[in-house]
Amino acid sequence: MKNPYEVLGVSETATDDEIKTAYRNLAKKYHPDNYTDSPLADVAEEKMKEINEAYDTICDTRKNGGAGSSYQGSYGTSSSYTHTAYPEVREYIRTGRLDDAMEVLNGVAENMRTAEWYFLMGMIFSRRGWSEQAYQYFQRAYQMDPGNAEFAAAFNHMNARRTYTTPGYDTAYGGGCSTCDLCTGLMCADCLCGCLRGGGGCC
Amino acid sequence: MFGYIRADRSQLSEREFADYKSVYCALCRQLGVEYSVFARLMLSYDCTFYALLILSLTDEPPSCYTARCRVNPLKKCSYARTSTEALSLAAALSVSSVYYKLIDNIADSGFFSRLLYRLLKPVVGRWNRRAAEKYPDIEQAVHRMSDDQRTVESDPGCSVDRAAEPTAMMLSTVCAAVERHVAIRHSNENTRRILSTFGYFLGRWIYLMDAADDYDKDQSSGGFNPFVLSHIERDAIPEAVLPPLNHALSETLLSYGLLEKGRYDSIIMNILCAACPKAQTAVLSKYQTGEEDEKSL
Repeated sequence: MKNPYEVLGVSETATDDEIKTAYRNLAKKYHPDNYTDSPLADVAEEKMKEINEAYDTICDTRKNGGAGSSYQGSYGTSSSYTHTAYPEVREYIRTGRLDDAMEVLNGVAENMRTAEWYFLMGMIFSRRGWSEQAYQYFQRAYQMDPGNAEFAAAFNHMNARRTYTTPGYDTAYGGGCSTCDLCTGLMCADCLCGCLRGGGGCC
Repeated sequence: MFGYIRADRSQLSEREFADYKSVYCALCRQLGVEYSVFARLMLSYDCTFYALLILSLTDEPPSCYTARCRVNPLKKCSYARTSTEALSLAAALSVSSVYYKLIDNIADSGFFSRLLYRLLKPVVGRWNRRAAEKYPDIEQAVHRMSDDQRTVESDPGCSVDRAAEPTAMMLSTVCAAVERHVAIRHSNENTRRILSTFGYFLGRWIYLMDAADDYDKDQSSGGFNPFVLSHIERDAIPEAVLPPLNHALSETLLSYGLLEKGRYDSIIMNILCAACPKAQTAVLSKYQTGEEDEKSL
């Protein structure tokens, strides 16, 4: 396992507040919600897990003098879903088998295409990097079922990326969070609520 | 390539600018050493960025040396020094990009321009063969882009996404190839995929920028342009092009964020976060109504 201080980008003599700030910045930057429709969603998830583990290890070490990590993976992921008509398509997308996912969806008759069908088509194009087509599918899914949180999140996320203005790069040298500026403030606030350890100080 | 990927000097510190220039000059020198003194003319900011990215990914400490500039011997320049293949890879990419651009120009140009390009072809072709011997993967990636682009352009129903695919795939392959040729710091099983995705979206961004930039020229000459093909009016160009440009750039940044930070991180962030959005504004501003009226006043 990597040195947890190295993972958070802080020195071993850093104060609790410095560690907490570094953790917050990284959690904001790598939160899976930022990468939901990205081809690198799984990589970001791994990175987030590494950051959480490093933070937990440091906290435990400082509290208990080196007891094991109690990482529970408490940050929220947007990929959790309970009801789906296309479990195998979702699995194909998750594992990067985009052609297989596309084949299944293309086999669905036009009059049977639900909002989820359009959403999943959007995911396939998005993972492939074809954002213009992805946008049209996400928009259609959202229009067909505006009450679905998953479809709304995908559409809003795509909209946020398409409308982002110059990120505040000058404040983000080394360890900043400029990529986060791509996302809406709402999303950052949302992901912070989900991922930061509840309450109290770091250690 | 196209020259859109360059640093915004006004937002670089003196030290950062000196570092940027040292890589630019070192690539110029590398072209001279590996190919020919005339190959230095192929130096581009895009390939400098490629060299900068590779150098930033390695574990090597920064090192420079001073020597006289070959182009202007009265001037002394600082050159980035490296024991890796970073500069050599970027030089090969420069040569192959120019060669296949030349091939495209021969097919697309008028009689006199075509004559000139035909005269240049054997010389640049020799350099390209040398690049192909050293880095067949780089040369093949550019070759494939050139062929794919021709296929795409013959499709009358080509979408913007499809039109951008050849350039995106070329840079994706070229960036992923770095992992094979250079020892990357803290490399793991994901590094190649991250680099590949980074290259894909950067290539997509470059293509969309170039297509937007050439809209007027392609519309009057009848050349292939995905925005002309989609019947997008001139005034609607900023509205139609800005969202996919923003999206491609944000994906590029998200991918870059997953790589370990390196010694040129601040310069790379300058390019991606300050210079690229500025370049977008510069290209799209010429299509905004009002500007022409202002000029005419």
